Amino acid sequence: MDETSRLLGIQDGEQNGLDSHDTQKGKYMTFKSGVEYFGLEIQYVQQIIQYQEVTRVPETEDYIKGLINLRGRIIPVVDVRLRFKQGACEYNDKTCILVINVKSATVGLVVEQIAEVVEIKEENILPPPTIGRGDKSHHKYVYGIGKVGNTVRLLLDPEKLLYDEDPADMEQAKNSEE
Amino acid sequence: MADDFNTESMLDMYLFENGQLLEQLQETVLEQKDAECFDEDSINEIFRTMHTIKGSSGIMMFDNITAVSHKLEDIFYYLRESHPDNVPHVELVEHVLEVEDFISNEMEKIRSGDPVDGDASNIIADLDKFLNMIKNGGAAAGDAAENVHEEPKHFYIAPVATSASRFYKIFITFFPETEMANVHAYKTVYALKEIAEDILYSPEDILTDEKSGETIIKDGFRILLQAQCTEQEVRDLIGVGYDIEKVEVYECDANQFLLGFDFGDQPVMPQIDLESSVETIEARQEEADQEKAEEKKPEKPQIVPGDFVIQSKEPGKQKKLAKDKPKGEKAAFISVNISKMDQLMDLIGELVISESVVLQSSDLKVPGLNLDNFNKAAAQLASISTDLQNVIMSMRMVPLTNTFQKMNRIVFDVSRKLGKDIEFVMVGETTEVDKNIIEHISDPLMHLVRNSVDHGIESNEERKAKGKMEKGKVTLSARTEAGKVWICVEDNGTGLDREKILAKARRQGILDPQKPDAAYTDKEVYQFITLPGFSTNEQVTEYSGRGVGMDVVVQNIQAIGGALEIESTPGFGSTMSLKIPLTLAIIDGIVMEVGTSSFVMETGVIKQFIRVKEDMMVHEPNGDEFVMIRGECYPVIRLGRWYGLENYQESVEEGVMLVLEVEERKVCLLVDRLVGQQEIVVKPIPSYIKKVKGLSGCTQLGDGSIALILDAPGLVE
Repeated sequence: MDETSRLLGIQDGEQNGLDSHDTQKGKYMTFKSGVEYFGLEIQYVQQIIQYQEVTRVPETEDYIKGLINLRGRIIPVVDVRLRFKQGACEYNDKTCILVINVKSATVGLVVEQIAEVVEIKEENILPPPTIGRGDKSHHKYVYGIGKVGNTVRLLLDPEKLLYDEDPADMEQAKNSEE
Repeated sequence: MADDFNTESMLDMYLFENGQLLEQLQETVLEQKDAECFDEDSINEIFRTMHTIKGSSGIMMFDNITAVSHKLEDIFYYLRESHPDNVPHVELVEHVLEVEDFISNEMEKIRSGDPVDGDASNIIADLDKFLNMIKNGGAAAGDAAENVHEEPKHFYIAPVATSASRFYKIFITFFPETEMANVHAYKTVYALKEIAEDILYSPEDILTDEKSGETIIKDGFRILLQAQCTEQEVRDLIGVGYDIEKVEVYECDANQFLLGFDFGDQPVMPQIDLESSVETIEARQEEADQEKAEEKKPEKPQIVPGDFVIQSKEPGKQKKLAKDKPKGEKAAFISVNISKMDQLMDLIGELVISESVVLQSSDLKVPGLNLDNFNKAAAQLASISTDLQNVIMSMRMVPLTNTFQKMNRIVFDVSRKLGKDIEFVMVGETTEVDKNIIEHISDPLMHLVRNSVDHGIESNEERKAKGKMEKGKVTLSARTEAGKVWICVEDNGTGLDREKILAKARRQGILDPQKPDAAYTDKEVYQFITLPGFSTNEQVTEYSGRGVGMDVVVQNIQAIGGALEIESTPGFGSTMSLKIPLTLAIIDGIVMEVGTSSFVMETGVIKQFIRVKEDMMVHEPNGDEFVMIRGECYPVIRLGRWYGLENYQESVEEGVMLVLEVEERKVCLLVDRLVGQQEIVVKPIPSYIKKVKGLSGCTQLGDGSIALILDAPGLVE
């Protein structure tokens, strides 16, 4: 929780520094969803806000939680757990909304818990393993695995995370559930 | 020019200013297209506009623009100075518009970063031909070539002479050993320019001709100066340096001044170098404006240097001065990036919300607080923020004038090409519409106007044959009515041919084969022409007839929540009316709740609210529901069920029915409860969320929560 509030402070400031692009390189915002830690290149992250009430939009995919009002802007919110088909979880005071900018769209990601900003050197990033994983749904969003000490972070491709829509994959997911 | 200039912003400025100039130019030209000839003011204005464009394009090195504007400037220079009779006015108008198109086109290229490569030679040749023709008194065009390679003359706009002006003849002798005397001479001229109202000098080509230096040393350097200062001041400006041997300054009167150099030289045309900076050009413009003001005074006793060239002015022509139209006060404008406006609007929205958060803070609810002063201040705050909202809204409203002007141009072009005699009338062009909407209606309107000119109005012969005496007429009108803007394109042409449309519809298989033709109302029949691929015109012309027009028009109009209505009287013309919302940004809406969700419905489509009893409901076996209200049967939509919401009222008796009317279809919408009526700021649903049927946007309510805006036409479908 302390980490979260610290980050809340940092992020707002960082957003103003446009020239900090270079210093952002190699840095990843990591967060926890389910049992795993994920990483997102920090240049995509606009800010982190506490979870707030979301207005549902009918007839949308279940991972789209709805809309929030971000200082006058209305932005959609996506639940990362549901997007990964990990099943819904209770929102608590650790739940945050990670506001990211991807291709001129601003989208909020609901994540269970914000971890920290870590620096991952390029040589520590490995391609995702192609076999040996039960949970297939991760694959299309994860473009690499970053090693941080003895742990790993699954590095997400935010564009795929938001826009990738593979009907065959969804079908498969459904079948495997049955 | 130095590279460290910020050419980017110069380019922006160039595009912006010239864009405005061209717009103004087009307006001026079209305003007088039906007149016999341009009046004095417009000739001056066009001349000056071209002069400015030429100057700035020269600086930016867009040679083709410079060349074209220079040619047109030539023509108007000639018109201004010589007042030729029988100038074919329409042809002239066309030439001006052609040049305007060319420059706009090139500017578009500049804007998108393409090379400015338009070929101006054709236009220039045309203009030359035209200039020759009017020079030869309207006789057939002579050899166009003779004018083509003529060196640009340097025209100048005569500055003002007032009684305070004095005239000087200056004779400067340089030391014989001075090198590059011409440059020194130029320095002198440059110094004098600061005070000069008019300055001529000899030799003239001091900058371009290096040999002039020798002439200056041999014969001296002569300057004619008109300025409002004393002899001593002139002397001080020239100064005595190591290079100048002797300065003689003689004061003289205007007449002598006009005689030019009485040093026995050939008469010299006044010249001011056009290579000077933009500032001087602008400064000269201002002078010219002053001059214009001056011209309106009955008689000027003084002879101004400008009369060097205005001598040929015929007294009779003077009468055709500017039309005595009221030159309304020029409003001051600045242009603001629209994204900044949007930002401002967002911020105001936030302000309003945080205001309500503060004013309704639970801290204030502590019993026993004396809040009198707080409440007074709060009321003041609320009124200011309401005003603020109104102002930002009004800032987004723009008159339709520009859009209508564009249509004027289209009518002119198309009618000329088709050889139809058409009068174009604009009514209510000052009607204000939200900026976003204007962007969306321009294209549809263009289509409708083109259609009217192309198909609506008959050819001149046909009209005569039909005994229609009056000219073809296209009226474009705008008015506000019931929170909507109506834009009508009306023509007095043939009208729509019901039989032809029906026949075509039958061929295309749109009609129900069982239904007789007579069963279709006129309105239904006319709506067929808005279907894709439907065109009754046998011949595809350059302008229309491919059947892609009307359906696109309708789509575009529907996209902004508008509708197209078609009326027609065979033989007497037709009227196409666009009914569009005044603004997309703010609507008057009813806020309601279903379960835990809030929705907003535009007030205009709601006919009534009603509480219904269970026994008024009719249930079809297939699940459809209807309600009988005062003998009429309406289909029912339960909003909660429709969107699969949670915790909504199942019982109709607990909820409220809204009777909606969209395009003469009525439906009932069942919601849980009504919250209130308020003005709401419409925001689009983020594009990340795919379009949901029946929703047209979202908004934030006073407490900061988000409500979804229902789209009645979407629900009715």
